[in-house]
Amino acid sequence: MNARRKTTALIGDDNTVVVAGKRLTWRTLHKLPQLPSPAAVLVDNGADALAALRHHAVHGTELLVATDSRVDQHMREELGESGFAVVLPDGAVTPAKLKRVEESGRAWLLTSGSTGRPKRIGHTLETLTTVTADQPPRTWLLPYSPGTYAWWQVVTLSLTQPDQGLVVIEPDELDDWPAIAAEHGVTAASGTPTFWRQAIYRNADALGAVPLEQITLGGEPVDQAILDQLREIFPKARISWIYASSEVGASIVVHDGKAGFPKDWLDRQPDPDRPMLTVEGDELVIRSPHHGAGLVGAVHTGDRIEYDGDRVLITGRLDTDEINVGGSKVSAGLVRNVLMGHPGVAWARVFARKAPLVGRMVAAEVVPNRALGPITDADLVQWCSTRLPDYGVPRRIKFLDEIPQKETLKSDV
Amino acid sequence: MGEVMTAQGRSLPADDTVDLREIGFRSLDFSELALRVEDELGDELNFDAPGLRRIATVGDVLDFIEQLQSA
Repeated sequence: MNARRKTTALIGDDNTVVVAGKRLTWRTLHKLPQLPSPAAVLVDNGADALAALRHHAVHGTELLVATDSRVDQHMREELGESGFAVVLPDGAVTPAKLKRVEESGRAWLLTSGSTGRPKRIGHTLETLTTVTADQPPRTWLLPYSPGTYAWWQVVTLSLTQPDQGLVVIEPDELDDWPAIAAEHGVTAASGTPTFWRQAIYRNADALGAVPLEQITLGGEPVDQAILDQLREIFPKARISWIYASSEVGASIVVHDGKAGFPKDWLDRQPDPDRPMLTVEGDELVIRSPHHGAGLVGAVHTGDRIEYDGDRVLITGRLDTDEINVGGSKVSAGLVRNVLMGHPGVAWARVFARKAPLVGRMVAAEVVPNRALGPITDADLVQWCSTRLPDYGVPRRIKFLDEIPQKETLKSDV
Repeated sequence: MGEVMTAQGRSLPADDTVDLREIGFRSLDFSELALRVEDELGDELNFDAPGLRRIATVGDVLDFIEQLQSA
Protein backbone atom coordinates (compact mmCIF):
# COMPACT_ATOMS: atom_id res chain seq x y z
CA MET A 1 0.00 0.00 0.00
CA ASN A 2 1.25 3.45 -0.85
CA ALA A 3 2.09 5.87 1.92
CA ARG A 4 -0.07 8.72 0.74
CA ARG A 5 0.74 12.29 1.52
CA LYS A 6 -1.87 13.85 3.77
CA THR A 7 -2.06 17.50 2.86
CA THR A 8 -2.55 20.31 5.34
CA ALA A 9 -3.54 22.67 2.55
CA LEU A 10 -7.28 22.75 3.22
CA ILE A 11 -7.33 26.00 5.16
CA GLY A 12 -9.95 27.31 2.77
CA ASP A 13 -12.25 24.31 3.12
CA ASP A 14 -15.09 26.48 4.43
CA ASN A 15 -14.71 29.16 1.78
CA THR A 16 -17.79 29.80 -0.29
CA VAL A 17 -17.98 28.11 -3.68
CA VAL A 18 -20.82 29.15 -6.00
CA VAL A 19 -21.50 26.64 -8.76
CA ALA A 20 -24.50 26.78 -11.09
CA GLY A 21 -26.03 29.42 -8.83
CA LYS A 22 -25.77 27.20 -5.73
CA ARG A 23 -23.88 28.50 -2.74
CA LEU A 24 -21.72 25.75 -1.26
CA THR A 25 -18.30 25.46 0.33
CA TRP A 26 -15.33 23.33 -0.63
CA ARG A 27 -16.31 21.01 2.21
CA THR A 28 -19.93 20.65 1.05
CA LEU A 29 -19.15 20.13 -2.63
CA HIS A 30 -20.34 16.75 -3.86
CA LYS A 31 -17.80 13.97 -3.44
CA LEU A 32 -16.33 11.78 -6.14
CA PRO A 33 -16.29 8.28 -4.65
CA GLN A 34 -13.89 5.61 -5.79
CA LEU A 35 -11.70 7.98 -7.74
CA PRO A 36 -8.74 5.91 -8.94
CA SER A 37 -5.15 7.06 -8.75
CA PRO A 38 -3.47 7.92 -11.04
CA ALA A 39 -6.59 9.35 -12.66
CA ALA A 40 -7.26 11.64 -15.59
CA VAL A 41 -10.60 13.17 -14.70
CA LEU A 42 -12.33 14.63 -17.73
CA VAL A 43 -15.11 17.00 -16.80
CA ASP A 44 -17.86 18.92 -18.51
CA ASN A 45 -18.56 21.31 -15.66
CA GLY A 46 -16.69 23.33 -13.04
CA ALA A 47 -18.23 21.63 -10.00
CA ASP A 48 -16.86 18.21 -10.91
CA ALA A 49 -13.41 19.72 -11.49
CA LEU A 50 -13.42 21.30 -8.03
CA ALA A 51 -14.62 18.05 -6.47
CA ALA A 52 -11.75 16.18 -8.17
CA LEU A 53 -9.25 18.73 -6.94
CA ARG A 54 -10.51 18.53 -3.35
CA HIS A 55 -10.35 14.75 -3.49
CA HIS A 56 -6.74 15.07 -4.65
CA ALA A 57 -5.95 17.55 -1.86
CA VAL A 58 -7.50 15.35 0.83
CA HIS A 59 -6.17 12.01 -0.32
CA GLY A 60 -2.91 12.97 -2.01
CA THR A 61 -3.79 11.11 -5.18
CA GLU A 62 -2.16 11.55 -8.59
CA LEU A 63 -4.50 13.64 -10.70
CA LEU A 64 -4.86 15.19 -14.10
CA VAL A 65 -8.04 17.20 -14.54
CA ALA A 66 -9.16 18.70 -17.84
CA THR A 67 -12.29 19.39 -19.81
CA ASP A 68 -13.31 16.40 -21.89
CA SER A 69 -13.41 18.56 -25.04
CA ARG A 70 -9.68 19.17 -24.69
CA VAL A 71 -8.63 15.54 -24.57
CA ASP A 72 -9.24 13.68 -27.80
CA GLN A 73 -9.40 9.91 -28.19
CA HIS A 74 -5.74 9.64 -29.11
CA MET A 75 -4.69 11.50 -26.00
CA ARG A 76 -7.02 9.38 -23.84
CA GLU A 77 -5.25 6.30 -25.13
CA GLU A 78 -1.88 7.88 -24.43
CA LEU A 79 -3.00 8.62 -20.88
CA GLY A 80 -4.10 5.02 -20.43
CA GLU A 81 -0.74 3.81 -21.70
CA SER A 82 0.96 6.16 -19.23
CA GLY A 83 -0.84 4.59 -16.29
CA PHE A 84 -3.88 6.87 -15.92
CA ALA A 85 -7.39 5.56 -15.45
CA VAL A 86 -9.54 7.88 -17.53
CA VAL A 87 -12.71 9.07 -15.75
CA LEU A 88 -15.35 10.45 -18.10
CA PRO A 89 -17.94 13.13 -17.27
CA ASP A 90 -20.66 10.48 -16.79
CA GLY A 91 -18.49 8.68 -14.24
CA ALA A 92 -17.47 5.82 -16.53
CA VAL A 93 -13.90 4.73 -15.93
CA THR A 94 -11.51 3.32 -18.52
CA PRO A 95 -8.84 1.46 -16.51
CA ALA A 96 -5.19 2.25 -17.09
CA LYS A 97 -3.45 0.03 -19.61
CA LEU A 98 -0.18 0.35 -17.74
CA LYS A 99 -0.10 -0.63 -14.09
CA ARG A 100 2.34 1.52 -12.15
CA VAL A 101 2.86 2.99 -8.71
CA GLU A 102 1.21 6.35 -8.30
CA GLU A 103 3.24 9.51 -7.74
CA SER A 104 1.59 10.57 -4.52
CA GLY A 105 0.49 14.20 -4.56
CA ARG A 106 1.36 14.74 -8.22
CA ALA A 107 -0.92 17.10 -10.14
CA TRP A 108 -0.61 17.08 -13.91
CA LEU A 109 -1.41 20.00 -16.14
CA LEU A 110 -1.86 20.07 -19.88
CA THR A 111 -0.05 22.94 -21.52
CA SER A 112 -2.20 25.18 -23.68
CA GLY A 113 -0.89 23.46 -26.78
CA SER A 114 -0.51 26.68 -28.75
CA THR A 115 2.54 25.19 -30.46
CA GLY A 116 1.08 21.75 -31.11
CA ARG A 117 -0.44 18.94 -29.08
CA PRO A 118 -0.88 19.60 -25.38
CA LYS A 119 1.80 18.01 -23.22
CA ARG A 120 1.78 17.06 -19.56
CA ILE A 121 3.65 19.11 -16.99
CA GLY A 122 4.00 17.70 -13.45
CA HIS A 123 3.33 19.85 -10.39
CA THR A 124 2.15 19.46 -6.81
CA LEU A 125 -0.32 21.54 -4.84
CA GLU A 126 2.68 23.24 -3.27
CA THR A 127 4.30 24.27 -6.56
CA LEU A 128 0.93 25.43 -7.88
CA THR A 129 0.22 27.54 -4.81
CA THR A 130 2.18 30.66 -5.62
CA VAL A 131 0.15 33.06 -3.47
CA THR A 132 1.20 32.32 0.09
CA ALA A 133 1.10 35.74 1.76
CA ASP A 134 -2.05 36.63 3.72
CA GLN A 135 -4.73 38.03 1.44
CA PRO A 136 -7.59 40.41 2.18
CA PRO A 137 -10.97 38.63 2.12
CA ARG A 138 -12.12 38.27 -1.46
CA THR A 139 -14.60 36.52 -3.69
CA TRP A 140 -12.90 35.35 -6.87
CA LEU A 141 -14.42 34.81 -10.25
CA LEU A 142 -13.37 31.49 -11.80
CA PRO A 143 -13.91 31.76 -15.56
CA TYR A 144 -10.99 29.54 -16.58
CA SER A 145 -11.26 26.16 -18.15
CA PRO A 146 -10.62 23.40 -15.55
CA GLY A 147 -7.09 22.05 -15.48
CA THR A 148 -5.33 25.03 -17.03
CA TYR A 149 -2.53 26.71 -15.09
CA ALA A 150 -4.65 29.81 -14.55
CA TRP A 151 -7.49 27.65 -13.19
CA TRP A 152 -5.10 25.97 -10.73
CA GLN A 153 -3.84 29.37 -9.61
CA VAL A 154 -7.29 30.60 -8.63
CA VAL A 155 -8.51 27.34 -7.08
CA THR A 156 -5.38 26.75 -5.00
CA LEU A 157 -5.65 30.30 -3.68
CA SER A 158 -9.22 29.59 -2.59
CA LEU A 159 -8.38 26.19 -1.11
CA THR A 160 -5.29 27.27 0.81
CA GLN A 161 -6.23 30.73 2.10
CA PRO A 162 -9.07 31.77 4.41
CA ASP A 163 -11.87 34.04 3.11
CA GLN A 164 -11.19 33.47 -0.59
CA GLY A 165 -14.54 32.51 -2.07
CA LEU A 166 -15.09 31.31 -5.61
CA VAL A 167 -17.81 31.95 -8.17
CA VAL A 168 -17.52 29.41 -10.96
CA ILE A 169 -18.43 30.54 -14.47
CA GLU A 170 -19.33 27.76 -16.84
CA PRO A 171 -18.63 28.19 -20.59
CA ASP A 172 -22.32 28.86 -21.33
CA GLU A 173 -22.30 31.64 -18.72
CA LEU A 174 -19.31 33.51 -20.14
CA ASP A 175 -21.41 36.02 -22.09
CA ASP A 176 -23.21 37.12 -18.92
CA TRP A 177 -20.55 36.70 -16.28
CA PRO A 178 -20.68 40.32 -15.04
CA ALA A 179 -24.33 39.89 -14.00
CA ILE A 180 -23.52 36.66 -12.13
CA ALA A 181 -20.44 38.25 -10.56
CA ALA A 182 -22.42 41.28 -9.40
CA GLU A 183 -25.13 39.05 -7.94
CA HIS A 184 -22.62 37.08 -5.87
CA GLY A 185 -20.43 40.01 -4.87
CA VAL A 186 -17.31 39.07 -6.78
CA THR A 187 -14.48 41.38 -5.74
CA ALA A 188 -11.57 39.81 -7.63
CA ALA A 189 -11.29 38.42 -11.12
CA SER A 190 -8.54 37.01 -13.27
CA GLY A 191 -8.83 36.64 -17.03
CA THR A 192 -7.01 36.97 -20.31
CA PRO A 193 -6.91 40.37 -22.04
CA THR A 194 -9.35 38.86 -24.56
CA PHE A 195 -11.71 37.97 -21.71
CA TRP A 196 -11.63 41.55 -20.39
CA ARG A 197 -11.99 43.04 -23.86
CA GLN A 198 -15.02 40.86 -24.48
CA ALA A 199 -16.62 42.05 -21.26
CA ILE A 200 -16.04 45.72 -22.13
CA TYR A 201 -17.20 45.18 -25.70
CA ARG A 202 -20.41 43.41 -24.71
CA ASN A 203 -21.53 45.69 -21.93
CA ALA A 204 -19.15 48.02 -20.13
CA ASP A 205 -21.91 49.22 -17.79
CA ALA A 206 -22.63 45.67 -16.62
CA LEU A 207 -18.92 45.15 -16.04
CA GLY A 208 -18.68 48.39 -14.09
CA ALA A 209 -21.42 47.14 -11.75
CA VAL A 210 -19.17 44.34 -10.46
CA PRO A 211 -17.54 45.51 -7.21
CA LEU A 212 -14.02 44.58 -8.31
CA GLU A 213 -11.10 45.42 -6.05
CA GLN A 214 -8.55 43.18 -7.76
CA ILE A 215 -8.28 42.72 -11.51
CA THR A 216 -5.71 40.35 -12.95
CA LEU A 217 -4.73 39.79 -16.56
CA GLY A 218 -2.58 37.00 -17.97
CA GLY A 219 -2.24 34.26 -20.53
CA GLU A 220 -1.71 36.62 -23.47
CA PRO A 221 0.40 39.70 -24.16
CA VAL A 222 -1.04 42.58 -22.12
CA ASP A 223 -1.19 45.92 -23.90
CA GLN A 224 -1.48 49.38 -22.42
CA ALA A 225 -4.89 50.04 -24.00
CA ILE A 226 -6.68 47.29 -22.06
CA LEU A 227 -4.99 48.31 -18.80
CA ASP A 228 -6.13 51.91 -19.36
CA GLN A 229 -9.68 50.89 -20.23
CA LEU A 230 -9.97 48.82 -17.07
CA ARG A 231 -8.50 51.64 -15.02
CA GLU A 232 -11.16 53.98 -16.35
CA ILE A 233 -13.96 51.61 -15.37
CA PHE A 234 -12.37 50.65 -12.03
CA PRO A 235 -10.41 53.69 -10.82
CA LYS A 236 -9.84 52.25 -7.34
CA ALA A 237 -9.12 48.59 -8.12
CA ARG A 238 -5.67 47.09 -8.03
CA ILE A 239 -4.89 46.06 -11.61
CA SER A 240 -2.17 43.45 -12.05
CA TRP A 241 -0.84 41.47 -14.94
CA ILE A 242 0.88 38.15 -14.54
CA TYR A 243 3.20 36.20 -16.76
CA ALA A 244 2.66 32.55 -15.90
CA SER A 245 2.77 29.20 -17.58
CA SER A 246 2.60 25.53 -16.69
CA GLU A 247 6.35 25.29 -17.27
CA VAL A 248 7.65 28.19 -15.15
CA GLY A 249 4.69 29.03 -12.94
CA ALA A 250 3.80 32.61 -12.05
CA SER A 251 7.06 34.38 -12.80
CA ILE A 252 6.29 38.03 -13.43
CA VAL A 253 3.69 40.03 -11.50
CA VAL A 254 3.25 43.72 -12.28
CA HIS A 255 0.97 46.04 -10.31
CA ASP A 256 1.89 49.51 -11.60
CA GLY A 257 -0.76 49.66 -14.31
CA LYS A 258 1.78 49.69 -17.12
CA ALA A 259 2.33 47.20 -19.91
CA GLY A 260 5.61 45.30 -19.74
CA PHE A 261 7.89 45.05 -16.73
CA PRO A 262 10.77 47.25 -15.54
CA LYS A 263 14.00 46.60 -17.40
CA ASP A 264 15.96 46.45 -14.15
CA TRP A 265 14.16 43.22 -13.26
CA LEU A 266 16.39 41.50 -15.80
CA ASP A 267 19.53 39.84 -14.48
CA ARG A 268 18.80 40.63 -10.83
CA GLN A 269 20.88 38.98 -8.13
CA PRO A 270 19.91 35.30 -7.82
CA ASP A 271 17.36 34.62 -5.09
CA PRO A 272 16.10 31.05 -4.60
CA ASP A 273 12.57 32.29 -3.85
CA ARG A 274 12.27 34.58 -6.84
CA PRO A 275 12.23 33.84 -10.57
CA MET A 276 15.31 34.97 -12.50
CA LEU A 277 14.52 36.75 -15.73
CA THR A 278 17.00 37.02 -18.58
CA VAL A 279 16.88 37.62 -22.31
CA GLU A 280 18.73 35.55 -24.89
CA GLY A 281 18.58 37.07 -28.35
CA ASP A 282 15.07 38.41 -28.09
CA GLU A 283 13.67 35.45 -26.16
CA LEU A 284 12.55 35.61 -22.55
CA VAL A 285 14.37 33.02 -20.42
CA ILE A 286 13.19 32.21 -16.89
CA ARG A 287 14.63 30.24 -13.99
CA SER A 288 11.72 29.82 -11.63
CA PRO A 289 11.16 28.30 -8.18
CA HIS A 290 7.58 27.57 -9.32
CA HIS A 291 8.67 25.42 -12.26
CA GLY A 292 7.11 22.13 -13.26
CA ALA A 293 8.78 18.78 -12.55
CA GLY A 294 11.97 18.27 -14.57
CA LEU A 295 12.15 21.92 -15.58
CA VAL A 296 14.88 23.01 -13.18
CA GLY A 297 17.16 25.73 -14.54
CA ALA A 298 16.73 28.03 -17.48
CA VAL A 299 13.51 27.59 -19.43
CA HIS A 300 13.39 29.16 -22.87
CA THR A 301 9.85 30.46 -22.92
CA GLY A 302 9.47 30.89 -26.68
CA ASP A 303 8.11 34.37 -25.97
CA ARG A 304 9.59 37.37 -27.70
CA ILE A 305 10.46 40.62 -25.99
CA GLU A 306 11.11 44.16 -27.16
CA TYR A 307 12.53 47.03 -25.15
CA ASP A 308 10.50 50.22 -24.83
CA GLY A 309 12.44 52.77 -22.82
CA ASP A 310 12.82 51.37 -19.31
CA ARG A 311 10.22 48.65 -19.89
CA VAL A 312 10.43 45.17 -21.35
CA LEU A 313 7.37 44.31 -23.43
CA ILE A 314 6.40 40.70 -24.12
CA THR A 315 5.10 40.97 -27.66
CA GLY A 316 4.14 37.43 -28.62
CA ARG A 317 5.49 34.05 -29.64
CA LEU A 318 8.95 33.96 -31.20
CA ASP A 319 7.82 31.97 -34.21
CA THR A 320 4.97 34.27 -35.16
CA ASP A 321 5.64 37.68 -33.64
CA GLU A 322 8.41 38.86 -35.93
CA ILE A 323 7.25 39.72 -39.43
CA ASN A 324 9.94 40.18 -42.04
CA VAL A 325 8.74 42.66 -44.65
CA GLY A 326 11.33 42.72 -47.41
CA GLY A 327 14.19 42.51 -44.89
CA SER A 328 12.72 45.01 -42.42
CA LYS A 329 11.46 43.37 -39.26
CA VAL A 330 8.45 44.42 -37.24
CA SER A 331 6.77 42.93 -34.18
CA ALA A 332 3.16 41.86 -34.72
CA GLY A 333 2.58 42.54 -31.03
CA LEU A 334 3.74 46.13 -31.31
CA VAL A 335 1.62 46.74 -34.40
CA ARG A 336 -1.30 45.26 -32.51
CA ASN A 337 -0.64 47.60 -29.59
CA VAL A 338 -0.82 50.55 -31.98
CA LEU A 339 -4.11 49.33 -33.44
CA MET A 340 -5.52 48.69 -29.98
CA GLY A 341 -4.59 52.24 -29.04
CA HIS A 342 -7.14 53.55 -31.58
CA PRO A 343 -10.31 54.41 -29.67
CA GLY A 344 -12.48 52.82 -32.35
CA VAL A 345 -10.84 49.40 -32.00
CA ALA A 346 -12.17 46.86 -29.51
CA TRP A 347 -9.87 43.99 -30.52
CA ALA A 348 -7.18 43.32 -33.11
CA ARG A 349 -5.05 40.48 -34.40
CA VAL A 350 -1.96 41.15 -36.49
CA PHE A 351 -0.33 38.57 -38.68
CA ALA A 352 1.87 38.09 -41.74
CA ARG A 353 0.48 37.57 -45.21
CA LYS A 354 2.53 36.15 -48.05
CA ALA A 355 3.11 38.83 -50.66
CA PRO A 356 5.12 39.34 -53.85
CA LEU A 357 8.38 41.36 -53.84
CA VAL A 358 8.56 41.80 -50.06
CA GLY A 359 7.88 38.19 -49.02
CA ARG A 360 5.50 39.04 -46.18
CA MET A 361 3.19 41.94 -45.43
CA VAL A 362 1.51 42.99 -42.23
CA ALA A 363 -2.22 42.33 -42.19
CA ALA A 364 -4.82 42.62 -39.45
CA GLU A 365 -8.26 41.60 -38.30
CA VAL A 366 -10.15 44.15 -36.24
CA VAL A 367 -13.35 44.26 -34.22
CA PRO A 368 -14.57 47.86 -34.11
CA ASN A 369 -15.80 49.46 -30.93
CA ARG A 370 -19.54 49.65 -31.58
CA ALA A 371 -20.07 52.48 -29.14
CA LEU A 372 -17.88 54.85 -31.14
CA GLY A 373 -19.43 54.52 -34.58
CA PRO A 374 -17.97 53.12 -37.79
CA ILE A 375 -14.30 53.16 -38.68
CA THR A 376 -12.74 52.35 -42.04
CA ASP A 377 -9.52 50.62 -43.00
CA ALA A 378 -8.29 53.98 -44.30
CA ASP A 379 -8.77 55.47 -40.79
CA LEU A 380 -6.67 52.70 -39.29
CA VAL A 381 -3.99 52.83 -41.97
CA GLN A 382 -3.66 56.55 -41.35
CA TRP A 383 -3.53 56.01 -37.56
CA CYS A 384 -0.79 53.42 -37.96
CA SER A 385 1.14 55.46 -40.56
CA THR A 386 1.84 58.18 -38.02
CA ARG A 387 3.01 55.68 -35.41
CA LEU A 388 4.82 52.93 -37.31
CA PRO A 389 7.40 52.66 -40.07
CA ASP A 390 5.95 52.10 -43.57
CA TYR A 391 6.63 48.39 -43.53
CA GLY A 392 4.81 47.98 -40.18
CA VAL A 393 1.53 49.51 -41.33
CA PRO A 394 -1.12 46.84 -41.91
CA ARG A 395 -2.16 47.40 -45.49
CA ARG A 396 -5.00 44.85 -45.49
CA ILE A 397 -7.47 45.04 -42.63
CA LYS A 398 -10.47 42.78 -42.28
CA PHE A 399 -13.32 43.73 -39.96
CA LEU A 400 -14.96 41.05 -37.80
CA ASP A 401 -18.32 41.20 -36.04
CA GLU A 402 -17.31 39.52 -32.79
CA ILE A 403 -14.18 39.11 -30.69
CA PRO A 404 -13.07 35.49 -31.18
CA GLN A 405 -12.45 33.62 -27.93
CA LYS A 406 -11.38 30.04 -27.37
CA GLU A 407 -12.13 27.75 -24.43
CA THR A 408 -8.87 28.95 -22.85
CA LEU A 409 -10.27 32.53 -22.95
CA LYS A 410 -7.53 33.38 -25.43
CA SER A 411 -7.92 34.48 -29.03
CA ASP A 412 -4.55 33.50 -30.53
CA VAL A 413 -3.36 37.02 -30.99
CA MET B 1 -4.21 50.52 -58.23
CA GLY B 2 -6.11 53.75 -57.79
CA GLU B 3 -7.32 52.57 -54.38
CA VAL B 4 -3.77 51.86 -53.25
CA MET B 5 -2.64 55.29 -54.40
CA THR B 6 -5.64 57.00 -52.81
CA ALA B 7 -4.99 55.26 -49.49
CA GLN B 8 -1.53 56.85 -49.61
CA GLY B 9 -3.03 60.28 -50.31
CA ARG B 10 -1.87 60.20 -53.94
CA SER B 11 -3.64 59.77 -57.24
CA LEU B 12 -3.19 57.47 -60.19
CA PRO B 13 -2.01 59.30 -63.32
CA ALA B 14 -4.07 58.91 -66.48
CA ASP B 15 -1.00 58.06 -68.55
CA ASP B 16 -0.20 54.33 -68.40
CA THR B 17 3.37 54.90 -69.56
CA VAL B 18 4.35 56.79 -66.42
CA ASP B 19 7.30 55.19 -64.63
CA LEU B 20 6.38 53.69 -61.25
CA ARG B 21 9.39 55.37 -59.66
CA GLU B 22 8.12 58.77 -60.74
CA ILE B 23 4.82 58.36 -58.90
CA GLY B 24 6.41 56.69 -55.88
CA PHE B 25 4.65 53.35 -56.40
CA ARG B 26 6.94 51.10 -54.39
CA SER B 27 7.30 47.43 -53.57
CA LEU B 28 4.94 47.75 -50.62
CA ASP B 29 2.31 49.35 -52.82
CA PHE B 30 2.63 46.63 -55.42
CA SER B 31 2.37 44.00 -52.70
CA GLU B 32 -0.73 45.64 -51.30
CA LEU B 33 -2.26 45.67 -54.74
CA ALA B 34 -1.54 41.96 -55.10
CA LEU B 35 -3.23 41.23 -51.76
CA ARG B 36 -6.25 43.29 -52.80
CA VAL B 37 -6.50 41.19 -55.96
CA GLU B 38 -6.17 38.01 -53.92
CA ASP B 39 -8.98 39.15 -51.63
CA GLU B 40 -11.16 39.97 -54.63
CA LEU B 41 -10.54 36.58 -56.18
CA GLY B 42 -10.66 34.72 -52.87
CA ASP B 43 -7.64 32.71 -53.91
CA GLU B 44 -3.86 32.82 -53.35
CA LEU B 45 -1.94 34.04 -56.38
CA ASN B 46 1.21 32.45 -57.69
CA PHE B 47 3.57 35.25 -58.58
CA ASP B 48 6.22 34.78 -61.21
CA ALA B 49 9.30 36.49 -59.78
CA PRO B 50 11.22 36.96 -63.08
CA GLY B 51 8.10 38.51 -64.56
CA LEU B 52 7.95 41.05 -61.77
CA ARG B 53 11.23 42.60 -62.83
CA ARG B 54 9.70 43.71 -66.11
CA ILE B 55 7.10 45.81 -64.38
CA ALA B 56 8.27 49.38 -64.70
CA THR B 57 5.24 51.42 -65.66
CA VAL B 58 1.64 51.85 -64.57
CA GLY B 59 0.60 49.97 -67.68
CA ASP B 60 2.89 47.04 -66.77
CA VAL B 61 1.19 46.76 -63.38
CA LEU B 62 -2.27 46.82 -64.88
CA ASP B 63 -1.31 44.24 -67.52
CA PHE B 64 0.23 42.00 -64.91
CA ILE B 65 -2.83 42.12 -62.67
CA GLU B 66 -5.07 41.45 -65.64
CA GLN B 67 -2.90 38.46 -66.50
CA LEU B 68 -3.20 37.12 -62.97
CA GLN B 69 -6.95 37.54 -62.94
CA SER B 70 -7.37 35.64 -66.15
CA ALA B 71 -4.89 32.89 -65.23
